[in-house]
Amino acid sequence: MTGVAQNNRILPPPMAGFESVKRYWDNAMAISTAKLMPGEVYVSGEDEMIMTVLGSCVSACIRNPRTNIGGMNHFMLPQMGASASMLTLDGTAARYGNWAMEVLINEILNYGGSKRDLEVKLFGGGKVLDNMTMDIGKRNIDFVFSFLDKEGINVVAHDVGDRFPRKLLYFPNTGKVRVRKLQSTNQATIVRREAAYLNDIKTSPRDGDIDLF
Amino acid sequence: MTKILAVDDSASMRQMVVFTLQSAGYDVVEASDGQKALDIAKGTSFDLVLSDVNMPVMDGIELVKELRQIEAYKYTPILMLTTETAGDKKMAGKNAGATGWVVKPFNPDKLLATIKKVTG
Repeated sequence: MTGVAQNNRILPPPMAGFESVKRYWDNAMAISTAKLMPGEVYVSGEDEMIMTVLGSCVSACIRNPRTNIGGMNHFMLPQMGASASMLTLDGTAARYGNWAMEVLINEILNYGGSKRDLEVKLFGGGKVLDNMTMDIGKRNIDFVFSFLDKEGINVVAHDVGDRFPRKLLYFPNTGKVRVRKLQSTNQATIVRREAAYLNDIKTSPRDGDIDLF
Repeated sequence: MTKILAVDDSASMRQMVVFTLQSAGYDVVEASDGQKALDIAKGTSFDLVLSDVNMPVMDGIELVKELRQIEAYKYTPILMLTTETAGDKKMAGKNAGATGWVVKPFNPDKLLATIKKVTG
């Protein structure tokens, strides 16, 4: 497959399965950039940057230093009512988080290596709304740490929680990260986007297909 | 009671799958890779095997091939539960003898309905 031309620059071809993630040439950084929206995952072995903006959502940046293949996800667990317990978390709410983590890890390991090779960095989970009845960000953080703990995968760096949204830049083939905490002027857009995502997975769950042979 | 062997290398995923199956009244045994599942399956009989595809040691496709060699598992329903949507992997699962292909994230009710259908 050939690359994709944009602004006279050739973006490297995306890996199979990640064609739907929006990419562009970042002039300032002079690099092909994938812009990750809530619910998306992107994996690359090219000289690329993955950019996302996190409110209460969480992103895991994972890379295998042996293959230089890495990627990022961006997810949030669905919001639940006051009756939400660990039981419902196991039963349904965790499935998007489990999926986002598993897809990212599997795609990286498809190019070789095992879970113990992985270098993991975690970001996001801010308490960006004062009037939140529950701290959604904290729930997302707790989930991702618990997931990695159960898998026996170490976290080498993290910047989570607090009250700020974050702009995250990740370079999957080197593992470098740049995080910037955003001021409140940007918060409305981020909160709106995350609320739309939450509503979307609530009203039209992104369940996989079932095929009987 | 219907007995299910649930195979997944992800502990978090296994926890969710087991919770879903046990809530519906199934008797569930877990395994964390294909080889362990095969060893367990040889010692006990199951009414259904629900297996992930990408796993270390022995993957799900290899597990299906191995199970189909065993007389007791020739016709046992085997559902693959995976994040894989690629057609070639699915075809490999079908050719190995899997009964069905369920893509994660799974809807618990739909998964249970499918299990009921293939074990009924």
